[in-house]
Amino acid sequence: MPHEKTAVTGEQGDGGQPLAGFGRYAGPATLILSSLADGTKHGYALTKDIESFAGVRMSPGTLYEALAGLESQGMIAAVESDDRRRPYRLTAAGAAALRAHLDAQRRVADVGLRRLAGNWGTA
Amino acid sequence: MNPAADRAARLLRWYPAAWRARYGEEFTELLIADISEQPRSAARTRDVVRGAIVARLAEAGLAGPPVRATAAAPDAGGLQIRASLVSLGCAAAVFGGFGAALWSQLTIGWQWSASASTTATVATVVTSATMLAFLALAVVAALPVLCAIAVTIARQRRKRHVVPASVLIAATTVLFAGGRHFGNGWPGTGGHRGLVPAGLAAFEWATSLSVSAYWVHPRALAAFPGPELAWMAVSPLALACAVIAAATLVRRTELPPRLLAFEARLATAACAAMAVFLAGCSCWVATGGQRSVFHAGLIDVAGVAIMALALAVARQAARTARLRLGFAGH
Repeated sequence: MPHEKTAVTGEQGDGGQPLAGFGRYAGPATLILSSLADGTKHGYALTKDIESFAGVRMSPGTLYEALAGLESQGMIAAVESDDRRRPYRLTAAGAAALRAHLDAQRRVADVGLRRLAGNWGTA
Repeated sequence: MNPAADRAARLLRWYPAAWRARYGEEFTELLIADISEQPRSAARTRDVVRGAIVARLAEAGLAGPPVRATAAAPDAGGLQIRASLVSLGCAAAVFGGFGAALWSQLTIGWQWSASASTTATVATVVTSATMLAFLALAVVAALPVLCAIAVTIARQRRKRHVVPASVLIAATTVLFAGGRHFGNGWPGTGGHRGLVPAGLAAFEWATSLSVSAYWVHPRALAAFPGPELAWMAVSPLALACAVIAAATLVRRTELPPRLLAFEARLATAACAAMAVFLAGCSCWVATGGQRSVFHAGLIDVAGVAIMALALAVARQAARTARLRLGFAGH
């Protein structure tokens, strides 16, 4: 079933360490880090990639708010480029933070799916 | 310029200059691409404006995640904490300005007669105690920062420190000298039953003379003596100059981490004092005082509203400073 497309603005977010410092912007931060996990991308490429794997269109203001926060925390870094569209790469700190965050999310997902299967059966 | 680029440039102007310098070019490219795909989008405009407000709040030290120091910007964390403390200082100055106006009204009333109203009596005692605590905290907070700034000026002698320091000294001198001069001319000076020394009450009255309901009554205002009118215009300007100069100095001076941590602790105490002071004033204003020298008018209601807003800003700045200090490990 294709993803239902929604817009990501600063409204969404999730808790969990270590992206909890981003508060309600942990959602956009997770999407950006996940996108950069397979290589450098500039802003427009990030929005297109996130749209393809998450089915959400990230608004420019939200994207750059999260990018600025991630860069200031050393989780991503700008790559030198002659292009006006500056690419970003994931740093080792960003990879560790993303791994920890996704592990925590997977634990929650595993518990939720197990309980659903136990009480509601499999769909 | 094509229409998409024109609109992107207009949207970019919402962001602060430092943000535009860092991200402006690439952000504009993304906006142009987005506008080309979706020419009209109110959601995009709202999102950009909201992002710009957050960027401005972050620059003012009121929001945003803590910055990690890098080789290129080793003082990035300290700069961010100083921004929070500067915002707190500005909010405290606004609070102090309006607080002084309300407090002087109560203490000057007491110079003539003790209040027959319980709320005005409680408000006068509470505001007097907390205003004195607030002033003591301000002195304790300012002294080590001023020393650090003086050391920096003595060592570096750079224009970026000397100019705001000169403005700060001049503006403070004008405020103090003017406050003393017009306070001495106040007819109640030397009153008979003051809760605080009459000279202090008169000084507070004189320095906060510009916080007046007479601004909306030009005919009554025109009957004021010329020098007093001039002082009502000059004193808020002098206070604004002093606050801006102090804020510029603190932003430009690298302060030791231990001093930043000390200032953040004082900030929490200052917020508590401000909250108690505001409660005392609100108690008085809510009951309207009484038909006498303790009467609370619309200007006092406005003063309480502005002080509540200033306290909210100060609390947010103190909270952000503590978060950033925690992140920096101080």
